[in-house]
Amino acid sequence: MAPGVERSFTAASTLEEAMAARRQGAAVLAGGTCMMRDPRRGIDLPEAVVALHRIPALSKVEIEPDHVVIGAAVTHVVLGRALHGAAGFEGLVAAAQGAANPGIRRVATVGGNLCAFDFAAADLSPALLVCEATVELETFKGPKLLGISDFLKDRHTLLTEAIVTRIHLRRDLIASAHIRLPLRKAGDYPVAIVSLAVDKDKRCRIAVGSVEPVARRWTALEQAMAAGPPSALDPERAAGFALEHNDFQGRDGREAEGWYRRQVLPPLVKRGVAALLKTEGLA
Amino acid sequence: MTVTFQLNGEDCRFHGDPMTPLVDILRQERFLTGTKAVCREGFCGACTVHVDDEAVPSCLKPVGLVEGCAVTTIEGLSSGNQALHPLQANLEAADAVQCGMCFPGMVMSLSAFVRDNPHASRPEIKAAMVGNICRCTGYERIVDAVADCLDQARKAGQLVGGINV
Repeated sequence: MAPGVERSFTAASTLEEAMAARRQGAAVLAGGTCMMRDPRRGIDLPEAVVALHRIPALSKVEIEPDHVVIGAAVTHVVLGRALHGAAGFEGLVAAAQGAANPGIRRVATVGGNLCAFDFAAADLSPALLVCEATVELETFKGPKLLGISDFLKDRHTLLTEAIVTRIHLRRDLIASAHIRLPLRKAGDYPVAIVSLAVDKDKRCRIAVGSVEPVARRWTALEQAMAAGPPSALDPERAAGFALEHNDFQGRDGREAEGWYRRQVLPPLVKRGVAALLKTEGLA
Repeated sequence: MTVTFQLNGEDCRFHGDPMTPLVDILRQERFLTGTKAVCREGFCGACTVHVDDEAVPSCLKPVGLVEGCAVTTIEGLSSGNQALHPLQANLEAADAVQCGMCFPGMVMSLSAFVRDNPHASRPEIKAAMVGNICRCTGYERIVDAVADCLDQARKAGQLVGGINV
């Protein structure tokens, strides 16, 4: 920022106020855990910022019998607490309670996690992919709903004129699990993340994070597993399918090289299926 | 921009860039140097303070986000003229402090933890510490001190932090 220029900081109390600031070019500040590290990477902080934490509707989790709505400004800790014990959301709870470290989880938000498009190791992305979440955006032209896969693929463009406001989840899962592989217990990004879920039709959904630049569903594995009877959900068998249908191109990074991220997927699938079988919905 | 908040129980007003990390204001303007700026990435936990009673990394907290909040630093946990916080007393008794670099953050993280988790197990204590890195690696003694602190509080029928149960 140029010397003598005062930074604009808007703590919006309504979505309209936030959108007005956004139209003026303000960057969205969520928990700050991503943006505040930008100077360490040689990136200047934005000249204008709009914070969303004072908008009440974006800071709550609404749990209904058939769906859940998560505000974009909900922190990992609040999300984990809110959904703890809700059948089918075991994986999302594990993702919210296992990401980063306790201090970060008290600050980092759901919206921030999904909007950090240069952060491949976001835990919530694969967990929300297997929930088949719908992302609600407020755009310059009005509200918009988008499937999470499309959102993750296109978010770089979408977010130039939109704010993520809420995440909508159907309650159609009977069990889910979230398996992550960090090299150390703390202070490390996971090398690879596998989220799994089983829906009411006994279909298995699987998503992978941190292996490629953007988290995605593992459709080849889902199809292979769907070919067998649901009762055949077996860790060893799933790991075999994962080995056979591993269509990932691992990204090279500081924590691990791409080949390693790809190679650890079958054992993570095995662990994930074992975790699924221990959940109340499948036990 | 002006940001107003409570700092260790007193009114605090900051004039300047609202994106300034809270840790820099604490150390450079308020000379509260107990809070350490080490990794500045939220990994090490040395800069942990309480914001509205939650233990958070102050390196990643832009001061603009603490408008109207209550901030407590290690200096605010006990002034030095009064009795130590029970956790501090237990850490001292266990001779758990080594170089001291991580310790203010460790105490701030764990003081909130023992307040909120009076029946915590040893694995839960360890899980609460994963964001506070001690390069002297004196973890086990810290875990011992936290477990002792909780045990004493339970026997006294109190929550750590002085609230009767």
